Amino acid sequence: MTLAPGALAARAHPFTPLVVTAAIAVAAIALPGAMATVALYAATVILVLATGAGRAALRALVPLAPLWLFLFLLHGVLGDGSRVTVAGLSLSRDGLTLAVTQGARLGAIATASLALYAAFSPARFVDAVAERGWPFSAAYLVVATLLALPRFRARAVVILEAQRSRGLRLRGSVINRIRAIGPVTFPLLLGALAEVDERGFALETRCAAGTVRRTALAPPADRMADRMVRWAAALSAGAAVVWRVFG
Amino acid sequence: MTRLGFDDVGFTYPGATVPALTGCSFAAGAGAVTWLTGALGAGTSTALLLAAGLAPMHTGGLRTGRIHTLGLDPAEDGAARALGGRVALVLSTPATQLSGIAETVAQEVAFAPANLGWPRDRIHAGVGRALEALAIPHLATRDPTTLSGGEMQRVVIAAMLVLEPELWLLDEPTSALDVDGRALLHRLLRSEALRGAAVVVASEDADGLATVADRLVVLTAGRVALDGVPQDLLRGDRIWDAGAGSTSIGTLARVAGVAAPRPLSVDEGVARWAR
Repeated sequence: MTLAPGALAARAHPFTPLVVTAAIAVAAIALPGAMATVALYAATVILVLATGAGRAALRALVPLAPLWLFLFLLHGVLGDGSRVTVAGLSLSRDGLTLAVTQGARLGAIATASLALYAAFSPARFVDAVAERGWPFSAAYLVVATLLALPRFRARAVVILEAQRSRGLRLRGSVINRIRAIGPVTFPLLLGALAEVDERGFALETRCAAGTVRRTALAPPADRMADRMVRWAAALSAGAAVVWRVFG
Repeated sequence: MTRLGFDDVGFTYPGATVPALTGCSFAAGAGAVTWLTGALGAGTSTALLLAAGLAPMHTGGLRTGRIHTLGLDPAEDGAARALGGRVALVLSTPATQLSGIAETVAQEVAFAPANLGWPRDRIHAGVGRALEALAIPHLATRDPTTLSGGEMQRVVIAAMLVLEPELWLLDEPTSALDVDGRALLHRLLRSEALRGAAVVVASEDADGLATVADRLVVLTAGRVALDGVPQDLLRGDRIWDAGAGSTSIGTLARVAGVAAPRPLSVDEGVARWAR
């Protein structure tokens, strides 16, 4: 979790951001037309700002900017149909609409996902799952997967530095960079596999595969507001699907 | 009372042509510290994995002979569950022994008791005691992945200590510890034995374990070459023939041509050379 402890998204029950993000993703895919998807993206950004995860909206712009540019070129510049001239550029009207629709969809999903990632607390999530009496193995799978990325990145940095100190050239020509892929990737993968083995031993001896109901160390409060937000998010996503199918 | 028994045990890893253990027999009793040592590849780590039931269950391979861990064959169905929380295994790489999901050291130490469904009060009290015993209460709120190797090793040991296990299996537990950490661990091993636990340590730390262990088992190429009182074996020549070594002073005395029985500590060395 990278949010301030007092942020609304950090104080919410762990299932709430999860359900809201899933609902946004479903709605983004289901909602038809540029207006609706742009409205959803705007609502997502406002929600993220209001719950204290505003940096996620900014961070999302990093992967989104090239995607938006690509969509603009693909659909707006190279698209078919009636044309409209904007700042001396001849653009496809339908293509632009499609680019905005797809761009807003991606924007909503990316922003909500990064906000969820920022608000996610592994320990609170595991406690929430334990409190419900749901299987710990499922919770572990979710948490370990989310936490694997930063660990993998940190390990990659160590291997990069080690290989560089042993004379591997990582900068310069494309050929140099391609040559460096093997010496960096193979130790990374082999190390990860070895770690999986040893972590498996550790989890086994620490009773992670037990059949007993796990104790929630500090069960997060599931307030009425949390439950209402989750229901509202699920119903909104359902409504978006209904609108798409029957609208 | 025997807590761990190996009777004519053999084990070969998948794809290996040479067995890691052959005809290996030894026992570890309650209230005693049993020290396993040997040259690289002697089979001490394999013996611990077999005792914990992780080999061959997780490693694959073929085991022969009989093992009883707290009265159960650890390779039998259901044994892992029955032994859960009663056997503590500490490996030499602390970073891979972390649960991977704890945000604080306190949560890390509480991981196994929580999995066993202990009541919250008991968990919190146990975590506090374990952190105190390893002299790391100040790390309770730290992210375990940001700790130094030595701190991480203490956390991993605390995460086992909290369970108050009946059998300890430790593989090079001092690999990342500093001098103070090693001394602390040695005191802890003795106090655990005093509590009635059986402690089995695979280590080459002769300086530390010479005065801590009650019994020394030396493996050579997967076989028990020597089994006896550490202070006796470390002073003689047979331990060198078996591929293991003695304490720093014992090694120095041997290199200096001192005949067995050799001194094992500085005090003994001074007394010997003063004569």
